Amino acid sequence: MDGTAILTAVAIGGPWLAAILTIAGRRHVRIVGCGAALVSAVASALLLVAAPPSESLKQTLMLLYSCLTLGATVVLPRRDCRPGMIAGILFLLGATLLAYSTDDLRILLGAWILSTLPFLFKTSFAARAWRPRLALLLSSFALALAVAMIAWQSHEMSIAGLTRRDPGGNVVFGLLVAAVVLRKGICPVHAWVADAAEGGSPIPTALLLNGHFGAMLLVRLIMPLFPNAARNSFPLLSYLALATALYVAVRALAENSPRRLIAYLALSQSACILAGLESRTPEGVTGALVHWVVVSISTVALFSILRLLEVRFGENLTAGTYFGLAEHAPRLAVFFLLFGLALVGLPGTLGFCSQDLLIHGTLASHPLIGLLLPLATAMNAITVFRLFARLFFGKRRTGFTVAADALPRERWILAAGALFAVLGGLLPNMLVSERSAQAAPIAQAVSKEYAVRVRHRPRTGIADKRLLPDCQPSQQR
Amino acid sequence: MDYSQTLLVFVVLAPGAAFAALAFAWLAGWVPSERFVSAVTSTTFTASLAALAFVLRKVVSTGSVTVSFGQWFTVHDYHFPMVLLADRLSLPFLGMTVVLTGLVGEFSATYLHREPGFFRFFLLLHLFAFGSLVAFAAGSFDLLVGGWEIVGITSVLLIAFFDRRTAPVENALRVFAVYRASDIGLLVGVFAMYHWAGTASFAGRSPVLAGSRATIVCLLLLLAAAGKGAQVPFSGWLPRAMEGPTPSSAIFYGAISIHAGAYLMLRVQPILAHSGLASLLTVAIGSATAVFGTISGRASADAKTSLAFASLTQVGVIFAEIGFGLTWIAVIHVLGHAVVRTLQFLRAPSMLHDYHQMHSAMEGELPRTGTRLEDLLPERVHLWLYRWALDRGHLDTILDRFVVDPLLRVSGICAKLDRTGMAAGEVSE
Repeated sequence: MDGTAILTAVAIGGPWLAAILTIAGRRHVRIVGCGAALVSAVASALLLVAAPPSESLKQTLMLLYSCLTLGATVVLPRRDCRPGMIAGILFLLGATLLAYSTDDLRILLGAWILSTLPFLFKTSFAARAWRPRLALLLSSFALALAVAMIAWQSHEMSIAGLTRRDPGGNVVFGLLVAAVVLRKGICPVHAWVADAAEGGSPIPTALLLNGHFGAMLLVRLIMPLFPNAARNSFPLLSYLALATALYVAVRALAENSPRRLIAYLALSQSACILAGLESRTPEGVTGALVHWVVVSISTVALFSILRLLEVRFGENLTAGTYFGLAEHAPRLAVFFLLFGLALVGLPGTLGFCSQDLLIHGTLASHPLIGLLLPLATAMNAITVFRLFARLFFGKRRTGFTVAADALPRERWILAAGALFAVLGGLLPNMLVSERSAQAAPIAQAVSKEYAVRVRHRPRTGIADKRLLPDCQPSQQR
Repeated sequence: MDYSQTLLVFVVLAPGAAFAALAFAWLAGWVPSERFVSAVTSTTFTASLAALAFVLRKVVSTGSVTVSFGQWFTVHDYHFPMVLLADRLSLPFLGMTVVLTGLVGEFSATYLHREPGFFRFFLLLHLFAFGSLVAFAAGSFDLLVGGWEIVGITSVLLIAFFDRRTAPVENALRVFAVYRASDIGLLVGVFAMYHWAGTASFAGRSPVLAGSRATIVCLLLLLAAAGKGAQVPFSGWLPRAMEGPTPSSAIFYGAISIHAGAYLMLRVQPILAHSGLASLLTVAIGSATAVFGTISGRASADAKTSLAFASLTQVGVIFAEIGFGLTWIAVIHVLGHAVVRTLQFLRAPSMLHDYHQMHSAMEGELPRTGTRLEDLLPERVHLWLYRWALDRGHLDTILDRFVVDPLLRVSGICAKLDRTGMAAGEVSE
């Protein structure tokens, strides 16, 4: 067992072990949770340092998700800090890291299903509405069917081994796309995301959404395995992503539930990630990867701040009236505005760089999408400001008995996130160039020049690899 | 990096650094005293002004000062150049920003004394100055976008300064919506420029475009400039923006923010000169705004709104000058107008007091001022124009009827669609 495998096992096994300890011990749950997430973050960081830049996407995602979980565990209000909640979050962390790190389709399927489990049972994080459960179940079912068909037709379960082999043809491709659409909440099956945010626990739901399993499946499975089908159907997928971004942005204009509003913002901006990935340009794909980071940090922070407000001021917050909370919680107000505007591309934050790259990339490949994406972002910005104004502006409420601004632990973890967003925006080159290196193989996998070379290749057989060894990027490494 | 380059960097970064330091102090739990905040403001802008004087000396002798920090970020063959430029066009705007923001800071230290939002105002003033200086000193359109957006967000937050009342907040939201919608023109225009001309930088090799490409780029940038400069059909937001404190109205809508659109069009003037259609539209929009501003201003009942419309009239004329290619007349017009209008805005709160004093001094016989040109019109036209002016050209009504209401109606239909299939207990709204 080499060092990489040990570190991966620590990153995944640590949170699962801690989840069991939390349930069994039921004491000091926040400390256990933070410790486990920290262990995962450190292990992921070491893995990232060891990986070459062009192959470090999964390690980056592991580090990002571990840090998100660490932040969420620290900021979790005391009311929510129950053993079951912490154990569920740690279980989700382990499952997500397993999905990111594995190269085996069966394990990926297992991790995908495991990550949905806490959201299927009402004793854990399940929403009151039925749509989230159905969407998660259907997405798992579609992926399971696709994996079964690949196993039946190719007898190969390694992603590297299946690269560019179109295993199972268009049917499997269609099933994988269905899994992405269902899990990501792409129109017309987007409604479950808002239901999950409204009727379930907001912070775990934010973590579920920011696993970005749909985008991960696209990058790690669909684009490398089905380059031809992906190339042909990408315009359709791009338009679906655009439709989602626009539809949800318009939908949010008449919504008053803060949880739903943040879910719509997350959904609309996540759709921009898909549009960027499908642009097939280095700028668009890099923008999508940077935006992935921005969306994850911003939406987890927004959901967390909203939950902190709910705990302090009651769960009947609405964007239909002015609450004047800025006087009670000025720092939470500033953080809310900062993360909200970072999500929609405020200059000086990382969101500005990602939006700039996304617009350049998508305009170059699909001008219509490039023209309409800024429109969706503009509407999202209006939604952010409207929600901020309704929650924090207005006459000071006198009925509240608590007047607590962000507690030190909340303040500093939110400040760390804000600092990352701002420093990342002021000095983006390191982060962007790393994402750019990761984006190169993704854009290359479905680019036209590649297609010309691949067109002459027969569909199956090991002999094909001998004929065109340079068409197997993963094997060259 | 020679002394003039270092000083140019200092001029741009000083207000940003002051903002960052004050914000960090507040985050750490320390709220500085009013005296400390105003001292920081005075020092920052005095030092910036001194630094700018040296930059001016260098620009006079060499024509421009350029500072390149390389690429802000690079992806494949796309670069985001980080270049600051002080040339004969940007320097007057930089000087105007430093001088007027510093003066408004001095004025506000007294004017907002013991105001609950004193610290917030100064934080936003520094951020605004930083955004303006970045926009005016940017050596490329990419960087200009960054400063432009910062100016927009600080402007909106200052309109909502008196946040206990709902009207300023609602108006701030409307202004924000107009800004964001028109900024799409800037984003797409800059991309189109980059795509067709191979560069969006004007430090060194400037973008060269002609024909339909020049027209498309200019029209997109004109959309952004018209939004920021409150030109027709976006003029409806300007009177709403008067909800903010008077010093912020002075600096934003009398001096700097309102002229940012004109600066953008001046920057794009070399391309605009190649497009007859875009030039014509710039003149038409400017002229329409000037007429709209002067008519609406005559029916305004309060001092700040009258000044806002007067400001709008002048900016409309400036746009027309730019469209005609009278670049230097436009620059001089901007500078003169900004200084006079800032003074008028800052004097507005004490105007009534002055009026009463003059009234007494003249023993109740104040002479009529100016000629009322509208009196020359027939009575019916006069009345119609009065109604039109009172409703501010129906611009907001048109915007509501044809954009806002349909959008909200569509959103309502989407909400109904989304709720389909939910059990009664699960419906939240």
